[in-house]
Amino acid sequence: MSLLEIKNLSVQFGRKDAPFNAVEGLDLTVNEGELVGIVGESGSGKSVTMMAMMGLLEGQGRIVADKLSFDGKDLLTISARERRKIVGKDIAMIFQDPMTSLNPSYTVGYQIMEVLKVHQGLRGAALKARALELMQMVEIPAAESRLSAYPHQLSGGMSQRVVIAMAIACKPKLLIADEPTTALDVTIQAQIMELLVSLQKSQNMALIMITHDLAVIAEVAQRVAVMYAGQVVEMGAVPGLFRQPVHPYTEALLSSIPEHSKGASRLSTLPGIVPGQYDRPAGCLLSPRCPYVQPNCRQDRPALSPHGEGAYRCHYPLLNKETAR
Amino acid sequence: MSETVLRARDLTRHYEVSQGFMKPNGVVRALGGVSFELAAGKTLAVVGESGCGKSTLARALTLIETPTSGSLELDGVDVVAGAKADIRSLRSKVQMVFQNPYASLNPRQKIGVQLAEPLLINTDLTAAEREARVKEMMSIVGLRPEHYYRYPHMFSGGQRQRIAIARAMMLRPKIVVADEPTSALDVSIQAQVLNLFMDLQQELGTAYVFISHNLSVVEHVADDVMVMYLGRTVEMGSKAQIYGAPRHPYTRALLSATPSIHPEDRRVKIKIEGELPSPLNPPTGCAFHKRCPFAKARCQEEVPLLREVDGHQVACHFAEEIS
Repeated sequence: MSLLEIKNLSVQFGRKDAPFNAVEGLDLTVNEGELVGIVGESGSGKSVTMMAMMGLLEGQGRIVADKLSFDGKDLLTISARERRKIVGKDIAMIFQDPMTSLNPSYTVGYQIMEVLKVHQGLRGAALKARALELMQMVEIPAAESRLSAYPHQLSGGMSQRVVIAMAIACKPKLLIADEPTTALDVTIQAQIMELLVSLQKSQNMALIMITHDLAVIAEVAQRVAVMYAGQVVEMGAVPGLFRQPVHPYTEALLSSIPEHSKGASRLSTLPGIVPGQYDRPAGCLLSPRCPYVQPNCRQDRPALSPHGEGAYRCHYPLLNKETAR
Repeated sequence: MSETVLRARDLTRHYEVSQGFMKPNGVVRALGGVSFELAAGKTLAVVGESGCGKSTLARALTLIETPTSGSLELDGVDVVAGAKADIRSLRSKVQMVFQNPYASLNPRQKIGVQLAEPLLINTDLTAAEREARVKEMMSIVGLRPEHYYRYPHMFSGGQRQRIAIARAMMLRPKIVVADEPTSALDVSIQAQVLNLFMDLQQELGTAYVFISHNLSVVEHVADDVMVMYLGRTVEMGSKAQIYGAPRHPYTRALLSATPSIHPEDRRVKIKIEGELPSPLNPPTGCAFHKRCPFAKARCQEEVPLLREVDGHQVACHFAEEIS
């Protein structure tokens, strides 16, 4: 049984009679101890999906799903009190900017201990010892003295380590990392990625890595879901999906990375921009930008079709086309 | 060999920072002696992490800051010692494109007005001529004529960056300094903007100083690459030399830290520990020695000077041994 199972999830914002689907018909499963990547450009619904699952959209969006279960519990019908027992304990999340996810007026030690107090009821010396152990697990040098440091006294990389320490404090079964390294420098980014992957292995956590950087996913993930304008357009195993993308959008994304057109003077591009709230096309969402578009793409929205271990959402997938590396 | 439009010799910029009451001011050597040349129509990429002096360099090149010492020649005019009138005329020859197009455009002005402003200040063109020039530039960067009357908030991020590039190009500058111009953009939009940069360079022969921390972007646009660490150049050479045979441990670390779509094709693998030291209190000797896996006793004592190894410049005592 998979740890997290999402079936046909939609998240709507705005008026009931004219809703805007930020996420539409999303299916995603995550197994125990698996590292799944979600890639997509801004506005593709990556973060909203995870916020909906964690129940962080309360009151703002309308969440509709056939199934939304975590570890055998139905997250759709669960009460707020029960949800609070899961979120932060069994599901933890790391956000993009460590400076805004830490409270500037408390020491980092206090903030780590707060998690342990609430969810595990630790007190006194045991509490402090566990906080110190967590700080050492995330490889913060001079951990003992850093417990009494305030967030502004730490660098971006160190703050992100503290945030990770808080997230793994209760040995979560699922960790969601939303662009965990985007705000960091290249060498620090590599260190944090390595830390996350080693923690994921040693704690046997499932890890969902949300990012717009395809290369990061290619390095660490086992499976990847590519999102475009609120839909999963392609899903598959790494590195298969990167070697032979089936969906035109995945292909276009990959070929627009400079790494792919070494020596060429121009990069291949996907014309136009991601459709916004008011200009979503009737048919396939990619149809206005797709180089392989056919007449029926403009009218019928394609459904998700299975393909090997993964799936794609396209009328004319690139199945027989060898993609040049 | 085309003409050299930019020549920097031992360029430094120091900042004094207060460290508290009764304490002596500290000195941050944001730029600690950088030398390079740039020919017309070429691109020099400056690479490094935050705090390495990239942006200070950009500010010095665009005449926003005066260098503390050293010499800087733009289009044959000495910025430090030159006549005031000459320096004034330089301002139209060096332009800048910033990282965040949301912040670098005035939200209360129409695009047409913002694009015409450089012409209004620097030329004697009439209003009609200015409008014609603006519309011509708008079509070059791929904006439609009706965009002339719109405000910045009505555009997407990629379009706004196109506007920022158009504004920098209005006076046909000799040099454009681009400070992380694509890092706020999505991958597919980044490709469009990079193509625009390349097209404009071919068409107008502009020299670029392209500042970025994204090594795969740099590999695409650069002719020469300069790697900086804590205000100093650690390695400089042609793109092929830097990417093909990096000599400095920091360059190698940066290259291997950059994630790749095909990780198994990675050329060099080297891991570095720790973080950037405080620029207020940099380590003795080589600034990199505390994080360097190859560091020896000599690195703690002696500052390595930039010297020629293998046809390009490296600042490392043991550059020959690292390959």
